[in-house]
Amino acid sequence: MTKWLSWGVTATLLIATLSGIIISYPYHEEHPLISTVGIETVVPFGDFFRALHYFSGQLTLLLLWMHTVEALIKRRAQSRPWWSWSILILSLPAILFILFTGYVIRDDETGFSAGRIAEHLALSIPWVGKYMNHLFFLVSQDGVHRPWLIHVYLTGLVLGGTGLWHFRLRLLSLLDLGCWATICTALSLVWPASLVAPQETTLVKGPWFFLGVQELLRYLPPFWAGIAYPSLPVVCLFGYYWRPRLATLSLLLWALSYGIFLLMGACR
Amino acid sequence: MKKGFIILGICLLIFVVWRETQRKRAPHVFLTTSGRIEMCLACHQERPSKPHAREVVGCSPCHNGQPLRIDKSLAHKNLIFNAGDLHVADSSCGQPACHPRRPEWVKKSLMATNRGIIDTLRRYWGEANKPCPDTVESLLKSGKNSLALDYFRKLCGSCHLWFPRGKYQGFLAQKGGGCVACHLVPNKKPKGHPFLTLNIPIRNCARCHNRSGRIALTYQGLYEAEGYGTPYLHGDFGADTLLDGRFVQHIPPDIHFKKGLVCVDCHIKEETMGTGKSYVHMVQSLEVQCTSCHGGTGHTSKGHIIPGFKKEKGRSVFIDHHQKVHPLKPPLPIACRHPVHKNLSCQACHNRHVPQCFGCHIRRVANEKQLDKLSGKETPGAWEEFRSYMRYKTPTLGWYKNKIVILVPG
Repeated sequence: MTKWLSWGVTATLLIATLSGIIISYPYHEEHPLISTVGIETVVPFGDFFRALHYFSGQLTLLLLWMHTVEALIKRRAQSRPWWSWSILILSLPAILFILFTGYVIRDDETGFSAGRIAEHLALSIPWVGKYMNHLFFLVSQDGVHRPWLIHVYLTGLVLGGTGLWHFRLRLLSLLDLGCWATICTALSLVWPASLVAPQETTLVKGPWFFLGVQELLRYLPPFWAGIAYPSLPVVCLFGYYWRPRLATLSLLLWALSYGIFLLMGACR
Repeated sequence: MKKGFIILGICLLIFVVWRETQRKRAPHVFLTTSGRIEMCLACHQERPSKPHAREVVGCSPCHNGQPLRIDKSLAHKNLIFNAGDLHVADSSCGQPACHPRRPEWVKKSLMATNRGIIDTLRRYWGEANKPCPDTVESLLKSGKNSLALDYFRKLCGSCHLWFPRGKYQGFLAQKGGGCVACHLVPNKKPKGHPFLTLNIPIRNCARCHNRSGRIALTYQGLYEAEGYGTPYLHGDFGADTLLDGRFVQHIPPDIHFKKGLVCVDCHIKEETMGTGKSYVHMVQSLEVQCTSCHGGTGHTSKGHIIPGFKKEKGRSVFIDHHQKVHPLKPPLPIACRHPVHKNLSCQACHNRHVPQCFGCHIRRVANEKQLDKLSGKETPGAWEEFRSYMRYKTPTLGWYKNKIVILVPG
């Protein structure tokens, strides 16, 4: 199970990166939605590669999440130094952020709203919010330029990091890569990659993993709903190294509460 | 297991290549003049009328669908064929950038509620003793029924704006459809996009206003004759037929029709589409009077402006929907303004002959079925209408609200 999951994460991330390189050629960050629609409708095989990119990215997040749960169950934190555990933990929010910026840079109804919300959430961080926004978003002034750069650079960083980690153990076999590519291809043939046209509506649903935050924003101030609460599991994962029982309990409670908010957001 | 996956993967890749060879890609990304993406235009070549031009509006603001896709199955998801249907008009025609609040008002107009017909039926048939709140919309939602409502559902239920356009065959096919019941003019080209117009032709009004008062027929100089097509002329029926098969003979039309005016030249939008108020009867909704233009200031009894009324070089003129200018004659100083005629309505003198229908009676056959036009289902009980005779003659005069008016059985 461990090998299957860890190689799955690496393989899907590799597929997402390769398909991302292909669709980055017809993509223009100055006209994000027009070029995304161009990829879907004008460029030969464009919709296929975009769907491949989309589903391999989604799979990476899901598999990484499962990989993390498995690592917790098998108490893998204790078998490695704290700094090594901390670096591995960072891959989870990094992948989540890559996926999120992937939504933002297509600039459709979901991406446009997600970008604006993220910008306001970043600005709600005390003292450093302005700098964080300038570093990662600034979509209202600079379009999708910064999320696009973060999407590309962070992907390279995560792929390099996890690659280094896994490839020092064993090289990814082509057979494994082929199997995961088949799964991603099958998914991309069954469902199209999401693309929502701008419309006259009072409710725009964000990326599926963001729906819980979106729901929480109805009840709590932006900093607590959009920054503090989503950061809790990362803090717990760091703390797991020293206080595993407390961290596990906190993670379970967080996952349960977030699941409920996510469902509430999805049902709207 | 893994090798099986690889073989499957190769098959899927072959399928992807084959699928790509079969599909027609768009030449470029289509944009409207406002910069909105409308990939519908990659396949659809239809050209609606100018105010809804394809380059300006595109397709999706009216017909919904997915304008960022070109695969038919994806692009046509949530497609609305008739954008004017009152069930969807709030988000199509009535969206904030187009005709905000208009569908909301139209839903309260008598053409959508039919409240006058329902109220009259229920009160005359002894089912209610005060104005009924029932409307077509409430009947559609509740499914409420009674003897009078059953009659309404089966014989009157096609003359309202909630009626689904194109659902039924024959003369019902062109009726109803919300906004398009009035504003749509068919395209002569087969499969061409119909035109939406403010110059509503009389035939659109006459699709409904041809029974009871028969005002749209009389206005055009058509008299619903006895149902035999007599007298025969040249070995054939001596009368024309309407879409539903009724015979009509030609009589002198209304002077306004002769001059080229259509119904909506006089009946302004506040009357026809409403102002958001809910009326029970048509008489409460009507506000244009002859004197609004003839000797008047171009304002209705409720103070609304009649757009066609203009003052040119000190004279009152009327500019119709075809931009033709008509001089307006004021009421005659002696015949119309004389104190002895102060109680006479204009129609009392100017409608010398009026089609009248006498002896209206109906029959319900309990063991037969008939289409309930609100629910769309055949239900027990079939209604039939009969009349004794039709006459085209001088109408009876009567006293109504301090005026002498014409009284016409319909």
